[in-house]
Amino acid sequence: MIRAYELTKRYGDTTVVHGLDFTVRPGTVTGFLGPNGAGKSTTMRMLLGLDAPTRGRSTIGGRAYTTHPAPLTEVGALLEARSVHPGRTAFNHLMALAHTHGIPRSRVEHVPDLAGLTGAAHKRIKGFSLGMGQRLGIAAALLGDPATLILDEPVNGLDPEGVLWIRNLLTSLAAEGRTVLVSSHLMSEMALTADHLVVIGRGRLLADTTVGDLIRTAGGASVRVVTPQADALRTLLAGPGVRITTGTADELTVHGTDSVHIGRTAAAHAIPLHELTPQTVSLEQAFMDLTQESVEYRTAAPLTGALV
Amino acid sequence: MTTATAPSPYRVTPRRVVRSEWHKLWSLRSTWVTLLSAGAVILGVGLLMGATYTSGGGDADIDTVVLVLFGTQLGQMCLAVLGILVTAGEYSSGMIRASLTVVPHRLPVLWAKAAVFTVVAYSSMFATALITFLAAQLFLHDTDKAAALTDPGVLGAIAGSAAAVTLLSLIALGLGATLRSVPGSTGAYIGGVLILPEVLGMLPYDAVDSALKYFPTQAAGVLGSATPLPDAATAGPALLALCLWAGAALGAGAVLLRRRDA
Repeated sequence: MIRAYELTKRYGDTTVVHGLDFTVRPGTVTGFLGPNGAGKSTTMRMLLGLDAPTRGRSTIGGRAYTTHPAPLTEVGALLEARSVHPGRTAFNHLMALAHTHGIPRSRVEHVPDLAGLTGAAHKRIKGFSLGMGQRLGIAAALLGDPATLILDEPVNGLDPEGVLWIRNLLTSLAAEGRTVLVSSHLMSEMALTADHLVVIGRGRLLADTTVGDLIRTAGGASVRVVTPQADALRTLLAGPGVRITTGTADELTVHGTDSVHIGRTAAAHAIPLHELTPQTVSLEQAFMDLTQESVEYRTAAPLTGALV
Repeated sequence: MTTATAPSPYRVTPRRVVRSEWHKLWSLRSTWVTLLSAGAVILGVGLLMGATYTSGGGDADIDTVVLVLFGTQLGQMCLAVLGILVTAGEYSSGMIRASLTVVPHRLPVLWAKAAVFTVVAYSSMFATALITFLAAQLFLHDTDKAAALTDPGVLGAIAGSAAAVTLLSLIALGLGATLRSVPGSTGAYIGGVLILPEVLGMLPYDAVDSALKYFPTQAAGVLGSATPLPDAATAGPALLALCLWAGAALGAGAVLLRRRDA
């Protein structure tokens, strides 16, 4: 369990993180989302005691990170910025970290296998690709078999196979009852991995919600129907909680019921359907709507229309 | 989750942090390169001094140990660079973020670095100085610089020379922790520790001259001499002064390590 209380970080006049309050629960993958420059990395660095908050505090497993007697067993962290010496081998890097906790060599030899680095452990980090560097970071995070994982943009630089691997890894770690906090600026990636979302923009909390709720608040699911008897179908479908909008003469967009119900209703009344398409508001769109006001670097023309 | 139920045998202890720093030091090529360069320079210059010395020549008034360990002045620079790499090097690679995440109390990391470095620097420099002295004596045995380890002050000067190099390099290590930049710390070390006293020495004030006796390089010179040097501090105060300089540099590094974001 990770808890942030009024976390605030100020550099001179710039407030990078502004009174963040959120809770990350065990057993699920929590996505930490925000556009570039939203303050995700700074927040994670504060959680790990690398940056001191200007105001507020945070706890992991009920206590401040810096007071844990064995931090590696409590929290495994992957930072966005490179935090290895390129001249060491992966094994020596992991061994140096393990020594501080008395973690045995057998564990150090095992974690590269967990992270898909088998065979590269005794190569110098200098020659690693971006993806291998990420895998090494994951291996380091898993060293102490921690109850909490904090991973900053773990899919960065991974190939499609690596992305799939990390998705499964995160899900299985959460299924074991661990707390998993994963940051990303890609909503589409989070939609596939995370159950819970903490969304920030310009250092402020924009949403602390589930993936499903975010879609619902963003307009929810709808069904697009094309039929020559649009008016007749419209009358038949009308009911409490159902909202129907009309596009062209033979096109309906139905909110509040599903394609199964619409199809059955149409069949029962012998109304021909030319098209029956369930539509989900893309999470990407919901994310953009949410963060529109808070992106730091924006293209001149809004891109949102083109992406729907 | 097995970790939540069974009490974990893992925890951070100062001893383990030292073990980690020891592993870090020896798993980098730069450690071997700087130590071997320092050894080679000191031994090479020592042999050259021994082979080219003629009794009653221009070097006749120089202390024997100072003469054969003349290369220490250059070799010392290699160890200062190693000291800087140990601390500031972690900032340039980003390794410091990993180091401080696993040891969030931070200060044990700096103390462990200083301890490991002191042991490695002192033992390697003592061995180098001893070997260099004995090797140079092969050439010097029939000159007025012939000396044995058992002669008064000789072994002390060899040990003192190793201590001086170690303490000077610890200043560099402390500067590295304070300034967090390899080029910045190297510049500060060369400018502040090596050159500044030379410049100050040109000032026509007696008070400055008395104070300069206790500046790092001057104090280091005293420790490496078997005979008392003219116009210099005596060995005891010189060693104390050098320890205080190293302590001050490490202290500054420690304060900033605690206060500043990593």
